[in-house]
Amino acid sequence: MLDLFFHEDTFEKCLKCNACVVNCPVSNETFDFGGPKHLGPELKRLMDNQQVIDDKRIELCTLCGNCDISCPENVHVSTLTAYAKAIHSELSGTKFRDVVLSNAEFVGKLASAFAPITNLAMGMRPVRKVMEATVGIPADRLFPKYRFNHFNRLYNKKTASTKRKVAYYVGCYATYNAPNVATSFVKVMEYNGIEVVKPEQKCCGVPMFANGQLKQGLKNANFNIQRFLEYTRQGYDVVVTCTSCTLALKKEYVSFLQTEDAKELASHVYDADEYLRVLMENGELNTNFAPREEKARYYAPCHMKAQGIGNPAMDILELIPGYEIQDTGAGCCGQCGTFGFKVEKYDVSMNIGNKLAKTVNDVNAEYTVTECGMCKNQLDQLTDQPVKHPMEILAEAYLVGDKVLANK
Amino acid sequence: MYDVIVVGQGLSGLLSAIWAKQQGKRTALAAMGTGRIIQSSGVMDSIPGTQDWQGNPIQKGAIEAFKRLTEKMGYPYKGEIENPISIVTGAGHVKKTILYPATISPIPEQGRVVIVGFDHILDFQPTFVQKNLQKARPTLMISTLTVQLRKHSQRTLTQLDAARLLDQSEVRNDCIRQIQQQMYEKNISQPDLFIFPASLGMEKWQETIEHFSTELNAKVTEAPGMPPNATAIRLHERLKKEAVQLGVRFYENTVVFGCKLDGKIIDSLIIKNGSYESVISGKEFILATGGILGGGLEQTSIGLKETALGFETNESGELLYCPSNLYPVGASNGLRVIHHGITGGVYSILSAHEAIAKIGKNPMMGGTRSA
Repeated sequence: MLDLFFHEDTFEKCLKCNACVVNCPVSNETFDFGGPKHLGPELKRLMDNQQVIDDKRIELCTLCGNCDISCPENVHVSTLTAYAKAIHSELSGTKFRDVVLSNAEFVGKLASAFAPITNLAMGMRPVRKVMEATVGIPADRLFPKYRFNHFNRLYNKKTASTKRKVAYYVGCYATYNAPNVATSFVKVMEYNGIEVVKPEQKCCGVPMFANGQLKQGLKNANFNIQRFLEYTRQGYDVVVTCTSCTLALKKEYVSFLQTEDAKELASHVYDADEYLRVLMENGELNTNFAPREEKARYYAPCHMKAQGIGNPAMDILELIPGYEIQDTGAGCCGQCGTFGFKVEKYDVSMNIGNKLAKTVNDVNAEYTVTECGMCKNQLDQLTDQPVKHPMEILAEAYLVGDKVLANK
Repeated sequence: MYDVIVVGQGLSGLLSAIWAKQQGKRTALAAMGTGRIIQSSGVMDSIPGTQDWQGNPIQKGAIEAFKRLTEKMGYPYKGEIENPISIVTGAGHVKKTILYPATISPIPEQGRVVIVGFDHILDFQPTFVQKNLQKARPTLMISTLTVQLRKHSQRTLTQLDAARLLDQSEVRNDCIRQIQQQMYEKNISQPDLFIFPASLGMEKWQETIEHFSTELNAKVTEAPGMPPNATAIRLHERLKKEAVQLGVRFYENTVVFGCKLDGKIIDSLIIKNGSYESVISGKEFILATGGILGGGLEQTSIGLKETALGFETNESGELLYCPSNLYPVGASNGLRVIHHGITGGVYSILSAHEAIAKIGKNPMMGGTRSA
């Protein structure tokens, strides 16, 4: 049984100024959602030391974290809404579909084991129609492809001997759907003389938190914390290529667990581009990038913004000679992890997404750059522009740069 | 390493960041949350704050720069510092303001106006507005009516929600029909001006204004009031997007809780995101954390405290010692420019513009230090 009387007292500072509601992508799209102010600090204030309240409307919260980003009083709104979700699941149960969706790692393992068939089936209209009717996954929603040769088959290094050592937290998406991102990251590190290891790891828990499976998510959190602390205590830095996983390791584990171990791990965690920026600031970054006369647009995932790290992806990509990149300044994508895979939320998801697609198309460029696999899924569905991860671009720029150097 | 780091993202902070970036400075902005634009009326008043600026040549340039910027962002402001106009607020109070967006029209001395409220929008009560307005404008003929938005909501609707609904032409058509019908039933004569809450469209405010004024055959205006109101939020969203698209680096969800000094100048800011601490270093720093209302100053038992950098202030909240590369803008200049907890928007515009002008004249300072 979950301890429903969780300790989180930042709600005391809420002035009800509505900044979170104004910036909530879901509140802006539907009146069915009670809004972050109401279902976060207000609900907590109402039930603190009193009866626990199960509010169904919390299902519409995506845990995108724009409420935290916008709160001028530093109320931990998304921590409060995550608990409201957990309470709702605990007292009202969780749909079978949501349990499956929240287990992204299990789905990934299974789907990539039968990858050609899974991908084929997920592309077949009749199959998807049946899935919509039976489990409630919308037939029109694009599904990410699964890879048979996933990253766990490709890479299993466990120790490093270079001066800087990286313990790579891969995440489910780069493992099962986009191994190219993971291999690109390893190459980028190699070009900087850094060896990368892949410690044993479980899903970061973000999809679980978002579906009210807090207990399961925290089990994964504790597992990851222990495994990665073994590495950080030997001088490894933890680097992550998925911005949602990064946020979990840096922030959410600490908010939920409030343990010294969680804090210790958080202080060693870097977003991949942020890590390259650290190398740059220390004069250690290999800047032998081949020139690329390209114009790209950058789409910032909400979970990147929530980390408060500026814009490291653009900071690094701008070092490539001739490379031009512009931030679209777009808001939330609406896919929001598992949210967009739910039939009853599909309209909201697409309405948010359509606004984003318009903003993205307003910036003239050859392709879109983003770190988040789920944002990519929405961009793939709503725009006709290719979407790349910064690590893929950097690995290519290093590769060509190396060839140019070799030919000199 | 940034050329300019701004702390705070209210009007002063966002303007400083945009103008610094436009000068080609590598600019970052660190903020704990949205600034107070969201809680403001969205119009730029001259007081408090601007009394010190009379005859200062920087005024004109700053106002022009602000107008150019809002024009570019698709939400143009008009007005002149010498010619304040009278507008009506969501409480029916008539106040003077300097700069106002195209969704606002001045309130006439006499003639006929109709105040239109929306059912469900509790923050705007037409009869309350009417009674207050009547005190300020005794000869004005004022009528009121309330129309329905016909939307079921799971939360209290705000003026911003109404604004988003009015972006849809079918919702507008329905409102116009209701207004016309009620005017007929209540025998209200054709007015010169319709007064609405701050709800006349979000993305499509131009279309909304035009639609209402054409169909109702009169001018329309927003009466900005309780937050969140669309007059202010349109400005906030556009300033933010402009800054991001220009390439200002946002450190959001970030608490600035001190700075490292290198001799007499600031070297870097100490920041915290959750439990995650780090530093960002820069050459010039702009303090745009606001006054007591904005959270930049805190009233404690031993006097005022500056909250972000931990500097000491005098009894009016001005920094006792201001490092040469730190520029306080807007309400961060202390109580001298703050009455009732806020600073007039015009003061924010002028002081942000002045700070950036100083930084622009000072390129060598940063250059030698970074070398």
